[in-house]
Amino acid sequence: MTDPYPPDPVPPDPAQGAAPSGAPQGTGPAPDPAGEAGPAGAREAAGAPLPVVGEADGGWHRVHPLTPAIRLWQAIVLLVVFVGQDWGQGALRGDSHVSTREFGRFGLGALAGGGALLLLAVAAVTAAAALSWRFTRFRVTEDALELHHGVLSRRQRRARLDRIQAVDVVQPLVARLVGLARLTVEVAGGSDSRVELSYLTQDQAQRLRNHLLARAAGLRYDSPQAPQAPERDVFDVPLARLGASLALSGVTLSLLVLGIGLVALSVLAGTPAPIVGGLPAGVGVGGLLWQRFSSGFGFHVATSPDGLRLRHGLLEHRTQTVPPGRVQAIRLYQPLLWRAVDWWRVEVNVAGYGQADDRRTTEHLLLPVGTRAEAVAVLSFVLPDLGVDGPLQARQLIDAGLSGSGGEGGFITDPPPARWVDPLAWRRNGVRVTRRALVIRRGRVFRLLDVVPHARTQSCGVQQGPLQRALGLASFQLHSTSGPVTPVVPHLAAHDAAVLLTEQAERAHRARMEAGPERWMENPAEGPGASPG
Amino acid sequence: MSWRLATLRRVLTAVPGILFTLAALVIPLAAGTSSAATAALVPLVVTGWVWWLIGRQVRATGYAERAEDLLVRRGVLMRRIVVVPYGRMQYVDVHAGPLDRAFGLARVQLHTASAATDASIPGLAPVEAARLRDRLSSRGQARLAGL
Repeated sequence: MTDPYPPDPVPPDPAQGAAPSGAPQGTGPAPDPAGEAGPAGAREAAGAPLPVVGEADGGWHRVHPLTPAIRLWQAIVLLVVFVGQDWGQGALRGDSHVSTREFGRFGLGALAGGGALLLLAVAAVTAAAALSWRFTRFRVTEDALELHHGVLSRRQRRARLDRIQAVDVVQPLVARLVGLARLTVEVAGGSDSRVELSYLTQDQAQRLRNHLLARAAGLRYDSPQAPQAPERDVFDVPLARLGASLALSGVTLSLLVLGIGLVALSVLAGTPAPIVGGLPAGVGVGGLLWQRFSSGFGFHVATSPDGLRLRHGLLEHRTQTVPPGRVQAIRLYQPLLWRAVDWWRVEVNVAGYGQADDRRTTEHLLLPVGTRAEAVAVLSFVLPDLGVDGPLQARQLIDAGLSGSGGEGGFITDPPPARWVDPLAWRRNGVRVTRRALVIRRGRVFRLLDVVPHARTQSCGVQQGPLQRALGLASFQLHSTSGPVTPVVPHLAAHDAAVLLTEQAERAHRARMEAGPERWMENPAEGPGASPG
Repeated sequence: MSWRLATLRRVLTAVPGILFTLAALVIPLAAGTSSAATAALVPLVVTGWVWWLIGRQVRATGYAERAEDLLVRRGVLMRRIVVVPYGRMQYVDVHAGPLDRAFGLARVQLHTASAATDASIPGLAPVEAARLRDRLSSRGQARLAGL
C-alpha cells in the first residue's frame, strides 16, 4: 500500500493467499508524496483519468476471471447441502431401505443417466456463469460507481459516491482460499440498493474501497493510489468470551430445555421418536448458534478517519467500514443471563443494511459481546458528542441508561399508573433528551439503551390504546431506517409524550440545519472524534 | 376527510354483515330449531357497532400541514399521531383502487427512509389528493437534507 498517512498498524489480512494475477498486484508504485492527502491537495479535471492504478481510472473493468469458478463451486456446495439434507431426512424416516432396493432394481443404467444429467447441469451452470462474467463490467467515475451486468436482461446501476453509507469487503471461504474478495457498497435506497462487485483480488478490493471512501469523504489525493486511512486498533473480542456469551444466550438455554425435554419424553415413552422428531428443530437452533459464533469469530474493532472499521468471521471473512454520521441509530443490549458478567451487545441501523435478511445478524453488529467499557467506547466512536456537558455527565447518563431506573440521569420515566400495564419495567422505561440525541432506555429482564441523533430522526409518532387512555398514558415512537433498532418509549404520561412529539419534530429540524457535511473530510474542524493514530 | 370514505367502508361491512345475519336467521328456521335463530342477533349487533365505529374513525382521521412538518392523526380505539418532517420525505404515493375511484376517493401515503413511518391519509377527494401530493413534494424538495 502506498500511504501518505503513517504506516498502517494492521496488515491487510493474513489470508492474502496465492492471488492469481488478474490485475496489477502487490505493493503498488513506490513514489509517494506524503501528506498530500489533505483537502488542500486539490486535484481536479473531470475529464482526466484518475491516477488510481487498476480499477479507479474511469475506464471499464471486468471482475476477476476466476469469478465463474467460484460461483460454480458455491452452486455445487448448495446442491450438496440440499441433497444431503433431503437424503438425511429420508434416512431418518427410514426411507433409505426402500431406495437401496430400488437402486438395485435399476442398477447401472440409472446411475449413468443420473451422472449424465449432473454433468449436463454442471456444464449449463458453468456456461451461464462464464457468460455472466463476460457481461459484467464496472467503472469508477469522478462521482459515481457504475456496474453493468446481466445476460438476458441487462442491468446498469450507478451509485453516487457521496451517498455511500458503508463499504464492506467480504470474503466467502472459497474466495478467501484463492485470495479474492467481494466489494459491497451500500447506498441508501429502498430495497436491494447495494452494488456488489464479485470478485476482485483482495488487493484490488482494498484499493477500490480506499478510493471510494476517500471520494465519499470529499478527499482529493495526488498519489497514484488512494491513501488508506490509518487505523487505530481498539480491541478484539476474545474467543473465550464469545463462546461464553453464546453459552449464556437464550438460544442455548432453549436448546438445552428442548433437548432434555425430548430425551425425558423418549425415555418415558420407550421410543426414540420424540428425539428424532425434535432433531430438525435442534439442527436449526444449532445452525443459528454456529452462525453467531462464526460471524463473531475474531471480532476486531478499529477506528479510522473513515469511521469504524470491523473485521470478523471464521469462514466468511468480512471487513466493514461504517463512515461517521452514517449510523442512524445505535442499541446497547443485555440479555438476562449476561447481567452477572455485565456484557453488552451493540447493534446499529445503517441505511441500506438489512435488506438481505440472511445476512442481517452479521451486518448490524458493531460488537457481538463486550464489557460495559467496550460497549460505551464503541458508542462514543459512533457518536462522539452525546450533547451533554462534559465527559462526566456523559458517563453518568450512559450508566443511568444502561442499568439505572427512576429519575436518575435526567430520564423522564413512566408515571405510576403505568405499573398496571408494565409492572416490571415501568420505573426503568424512560427517555432523556440531550442537545444532540434522544436516549431511550427500556427493559427490566433484558436491558436496552437506544440512542438516536436528532439529525437522524426520520419521523416520530405517538400511540394510545384504550387501556393506556384510561390510565392517561401514551407510547412514543421514533422511526429510524430499517434495522434492529426500533426506538420506542412505552407508557409515558400522555402529556410527556405529546410534548416530546412536538418538541422532537422541532429539534430534528434544527439538528438537520446544523448537521455537518455529508463528505466528512471536507471540514476537518467538525470531523469525527476518532483522531488518526 | 370526505364522508364518502365512511359510506364506502360501511357498505363493505354492511354487505357481509347482513348476509351473515340472514344466514344465522334462515338456517335454524329451516332446520326447525327456531330458538337458535336468536343467535342472529350477534352478527347484527357487531355490524351495527362497526357501522358506528366507522363513523367515528373517519371523523378521527385528519392531517395538518404545519410549517416544517405534516401531522397525521388516525384511530379511535388505538389512537395514532405521526409527525413527518417535509425534509425527510423520500416520496409521496397517491393510490386509488377501483372501489375508491367509484366513490371518488384517493389515499395519499408518505414515505421516509424509515419503513416504520406509517403516515397515510385515506379518503381524500382525488383533486385534493393531487394538490396535497404536489404541495408535499415541492416542500420536501425545498427542505431535503441527506439521510
